[in-house]
Amino acid sequence: MALPQPLRPGPTPYELEFIASDELIEISPSFSMERTRLIHGIIGPFRPPGKSKVPLWLAVNLKLKRKCNIVPPDWLNVEYLQERLAEETSSPAFSALPFRFAEIAKVLLDVAADDLALPDKIRSLLKDLREARQSKSRDGLKKLDHIQLEMANLCSMEINELRPFFVKAMGVFTKLQTDSQGNADDQAGGQDMDFSW
Amino acid sequence: MDYSDDFDAVRATSSTAWEDETEDIGQTSLQRLTRWWINERGAPDILVWQAQLVEELLDSLHNQATMVQHIRSDPRTSEQEHFRVVLVQTEMERVKFLIRSYLRVRIHKIEKYAGYIMREPGVQVKLSSGELTHAQKYYDLISKYFHSSALEGLPENMRSLDEQLPNGRSMITEPDKDRGVFVRARKKCENVRLPNGDSLTIEKGSIHLLRYRTVEDLVARAEVELI
Amino acid sequence: MDDDYYSIDAILADNQKIQCTFKLDVPNLGYLEGGEEKDIKTNSKIQLPHWLAPTLLYQDWVDFAIPPPFSLRVRKALNAEPRHVRLSSLVGGGGQWYSFGRMIVELLQEPQSEELAKVLQQTFHARLVDLMDQAQNFGGAAGSMGGAVGSGDVGDDFREGLEGVERELFTLAQDSARATKLWYESSDKK
Repeated sequence: MALPQPLRPGPTPYELEFIASDELIEISPSFSMERTRLIHGIIGPFRPPGKSKVPLWLAVNLKLKRKCNIVPPDWLNVEYLQERLAEETSSPAFSALPFRFAEIAKVLLDVAADDLALPDKIRSLLKDLREARQSKSRDGLKKLDHIQLEMANLCSMEINELRPFFVKAMGVFTKLQTDSQGNADDQAGGQDMDFSW
Repeated sequence: MDYSDDFDAVRATSSTAWEDETEDIGQTSLQRLTRWWINERGAPDILVWQAQLVEELLDSLHNQATMVQHIRSDPRTSEQEHFRVVLVQTEMERVKFLIRSYLRVRIHKIEKYAGYIMREPGVQVKLSSGELTHAQKYYDLISKYFHSSALEGLPENMRSLDEQLPNGRSMITEPDKDRGVFVRARKKCENVRLPNGDSLTIEKGSIHLLRYRTVEDLVARAEVELI
Repeated sequence: MDDDYYSIDAILADNQKIQCTFKLDVPNLGYLEGGEEKDIKTNSKIQLPHWLAPTLLYQDWVDFAIPPPFSLRVRKALNAEPRHVRLSSLVGGGGQWYSFGRMIVELLQEPQSEELAKVLQQTFHARLVDLMDQAQNFGGAAGSMGGAVGSGDVGDDFREGLEGVERELFTLAQDSARATKLWYESSDKK
């Protein structure tokens, strides 16, 4: 089989990390390098102590070889995350976060914790954010039917985790529709029905 | 092939990072194929083969490989240049992985829906010539196998593999277009017709869970992407 | 709930039995009753499988009774407390309450078919949030990391009360949560 069962019908977290690794991030290279043509585009030149923007995968590669330091993205700090968490816990809507924040944060905390201010605090804030949002997505489930559901501001990794359950649940709703209901649906809550038969 | 304009235009990892992902301008072949790969993963049926994108990337890979070979075989190459070669090669592996992943998801669907493909010329045009050949051969193989291992033992009028049953179902496995998919709109989409007859407007950048059938055309026209 | 021709689940589901009452005599098929009779007599009650029942119904050769999992008593209980009914005790653990119910809906006439369909939909809807909640927080015994002490038992008990499709959903949520968790804990450092 070309694709093992767990790989369908959505990407794995690792594949999402792969995709997120194409995002640009700023680094402070510790060595000089001429302009280099990559398929992605042109990298460099690196002229320390000047900074440069490169894809995340490249930044990680250099960081692991101790050839650069990583400049944290403007959302990966305690202040910003605390603000988002406050928003998250005070409103039923999802706060706006970078679409691939989970992937990028995970990678940077893994290989470049020393380039971040208060990495443990960041980790803990991210965990709180995740839990607050996960609990909100369960509320979103109440609105799920056989037609559509809007999920504003949900992020890549969250959608991926919810996907199998939500898609299957929607499928069950679809299958439970009768032909006559198909065009005039009302998800009416709890009206008592005539049970005399 | 000067990519410097693309690079300058591209996004930083800020909270509006994704906005640029939804624009076509400045999108590299790499970004586009990545999108089609994920579209393919999410879509129940097979999408149109992205011949141009794949060809561009294969060309790029070829050029990079030539460059690498050139540099490595030159005895005057410095250590710094060797290091650049490593970076180039690392990226090449990533691009190859992307192309292979794209192919793999399509092969999986082609084999699963081989019978359906052979029956529907409208689907056949979405495949590359190599994929179509594979679909044909695969279906032949499977049919022969079913015949020799089981069907030959049945009465002649029961040996068919492609009957349409009285209740509307088909013996041939078809993609389930009513399966839910998560979409993100790359531009504002108006008058999207829902299964219950209602009309929906999908704002640019918003995320919805919808039946694939509802957004099939939008996906094909790249007005929404599957995420 | 699979319509694919080759789906094993669909084939098994087709074998579920519905109690039917024959409206006429049928010679020589008495063995279907399981007894010693040579013929089926009018008003005989026989359990017929789902792949056979519809045809006989449409020909008006049999009547059928609403199977016990969808009886009046059950429907009343579901209307009152959908989240606490153990659907698995109606159809056996892993049995298919919703799928079976769907089949019965197709055999019924209006307005009974609509009413039963609504019961199925509202029950499913009411139980969905608990399903996700339990699956994410009480992630099964083996390999469960970071769950509360003894949470494996709570999760198992809840799961035991679920019918087939609900168990599938439960597993989907669990597996997904586990896979994501594993990824969070993985490292790119060699």
